[in-house]
Amino acid sequence: MIEAVDLSAGYGGRPVIAGVNLSVRRGEFVAVIGPNAAGKTTLLKTLANLLKPLGGVVYISGTTTSRMAAREIARLVGSVLTEQPRPTQLTVFEVVSLGRYPYTNPMHTLTGRDRSEVWRALADAGITHLSSRRLSELSDGQRQKVMIARALAQEPRVLILDEPVTYLDPKARVEILLTVKRVARERGIAVIASLHEVELALRMADRLIVVSGGRVALYDSPEEFVALGGPIHLYGLDGESTFSPELMSVEFRPRIEGGPRLFIVAGGGSGSLVYRMLARLGYQFSTGVLHEGDIDYYVASLLGGVVITEQAFQPISPESVRRALEESRDCAAAIYTSPPIGPLNSANHILAETIAQQGIPLIVLGPAEVKGVVARARSLADLSKSIEMVLENSRAVEPLSAKR
Amino acid sequence: MVRLLRGEALTELGAEAEYKSPRSRCVLLLLSLPIAPLFIVSIVLGGYAIQPWDALAALSGGGRGEAALIVESIRLPRTLAAMLGGASLGVAGAILQALFRNPLADPYILGVSAGSSLFLALSILTGATLGLWTPTNPYSLYTAAFIGALVVVIVMIVLSGVVRTTTTILVAGIMFSYLAYAVTSILQVFADIEKLRAFTYWVMGSFSGARWSILGLGLPFLLIFLAAMVFLCKPLNALLLGEDYARSMGMNLNRARMLIVAAAALPVSIVTTIAGSVGFIGLSAPYLARQLTRTSNHFTIIPASALLGSTLATAADLISRLALKPIEIPITAVTALFGAPLVIYLLLRGRGVQV
Repeated sequence: MIEAVDLSAGYGGRPVIAGVNLSVRRGEFVAVIGPNAAGKTTLLKTLANLLKPLGGVVYISGTTTSRMAAREIARLVGSVLTEQPRPTQLTVFEVVSLGRYPYTNPMHTLTGRDRSEVWRALADAGITHLSSRRLSELSDGQRQKVMIARALAQEPRVLILDEPVTYLDPKARVEILLTVKRVARERGIAVIASLHEVELALRMADRLIVVSGGRVALYDSPEEFVALGGPIHLYGLDGESTFSPELMSVEFRPRIEGGPRLFIVAGGGSGSLVYRMLARLGYQFSTGVLHEGDIDYYVASLLGGVVITEQAFQPISPESVRRALEESRDCAAAIYTSPPIGPLNSANHILAETIAQQGIPLIVLGPAEVKGVVARARSLADLSKSIEMVLENSRAVEPLSAKR
Repeated sequence: MVRLLRGEALTELGAEAEYKSPRSRCVLLLLSLPIAPLFIVSIVLGGYAIQPWDALAALSGGGRGEAALIVESIRLPRTLAAMLGGASLGVAGAILQALFRNPLADPYILGVSAGSSLFLALSILTGATLGLWTPTNPYSLYTAAFIGALVVVIVMIVLSGVVRTTTTILVAGIMFSYLAYAVTSILQVFADIEKLRAFTYWVMGSFSGARWSILGLGLPFLLIFLAAMVFLCKPLNALLLGEDYARSMGMNLNRARMLIVAAAALPVSIVTTIAGSVGFIGLSAPYLARQLTRTSNHFTIIPASALLGSTLATAADLISRLALKPIEIPITAVTALFGAPLVIYLLLRGRGVQV
């Protein structure tokens, strides 16, 4: 539907990206991702013919865009740009009917066909009920739907969206992208959308166009891109920011040096939020014994915790318990997160009781019955208070025990 | 098929959204009401009071005597000039505000009046003709003013076809104005008092000099321009969404800019030739139009600006000749004295300025 051959794009004769070869088919939703200032907007504007290509050719439905008049191109390509339309007093219907610009006469008289296309676009974008509202009265999300409906009213074969959801809340983001995907499939429109939200792009896109360092790479599936470690290289996520292929999300790993270390006995997802809270509050932590592949295993590793592991689907071995006990010896307190206990991880319950016996203050989060508990927390907020209290007590007690 | 049926059902439901809002129609109707009474009043009142029936008789071509002579040769051309001139200024302001996306743009922002002032100054103060007109020609001043305005118009049209950003046109217009005023002020310093007075009187602006000999050439053009505005509403509406959006919908930006600049500057150069620079109307008429109609749609804004500009100019012209009779005060003084407080009031009461 749209094809670029050896395209180079840029401003004032200076190319920002070069050697672009890509093609997008009917009904396909392709996301353009890449770091800031990589040239995503430049590429999209050139594909939409708002910028003249510095070299190479853009074909739409097999015809070179450089041979087409602006009006002809506007009948094939609709765009939603980063430029925010000013809050004018035009109604939603008036704005969407501007999408008929390339079809109407110089007085913009709407024919029956123009009208039904406007109403179809409004219905497809799910904003029929807003048709007589003014643009200035709408929320950002509604306004973006209006701009999309306006592009759809052009009856385009290709839809170019430049960061269409950047200023929107999570629900509106997903709603708008799903709407675009559905309409594109129904109408057979090729969609090329740049997305700053890489997690969203990886979840939504049929294929990826990755822009970086003045070059463009294509991936036939987002999952393949993730499996190859793409996001980590693309955005340089190897320091405090990291990328988890399993969770398909960007993570933040705070650098914590010194301070008390906590030992967490968790598993089966019961520890994930505890790890996140501890990392946020600036505690170092060790945890175990976790089965490899457990969600707790991934979250703890991502946040930079020391993780004592057992092979997946193997009962926790005495050797692993011994390693966990050793690790817990340096910790100022321990937390038992009441994980679900079964034949493969029953050793963790024993581990918690043993840690308590060795004189490390044990806090239990949740309902589990454990011998030697010094504090019990019903909620995560409770837990953070309990930790503070326990650490304060142990500091006060320490000199005494040293004398003894 | 199902989809088509659904579309048709929706069309029925939302039909009211498709057309001009009832408010726009009402406001346009209301704005057109004062035109006819103002026309009559403007012909009847003045330094020499004329009975309404004498005026009507004169207008229908049947009048005789002094009254008929005054109506035909002074009042009627003056009234028509104020009405059409005001309408042109209002519309020019509206479309330039839309092009520059700035509610402070007025018809003279492109430098049209600066250009005509410069050429007038050359003509009145130095007697120079540049070989384009003879000093003995009774219309030499009009010719100078028009040529001065036209030079600016042509420069601006060419410029708007080649520049990359619209702001460049705005800045060029303002800079050109400064240049022209600089030269004009130097000429003024060296001029003698009598010539200076004639020049100042022109620059202050007034419709009192409107005569058929000039209007016969100018008014038909103004009418044609006003009618042709209907073809500018579509690109102006598209420009409300921003230049890139307008282009993405198939608008040729440079061509649209040239048309808009031409459509604003040419009528203004005619009005300036007839009446000097009449300030404030081009700024306030579009503003009032937006406040009253509460829309940005130029299919409404442009006729509303024309009607308001016409009303404001005719009323101001009336006041300028009646307030301190027999002395005429400059029309810009009248428009600003009455208009500025009105705009400030609406600004404080309303929701701010949006083009």
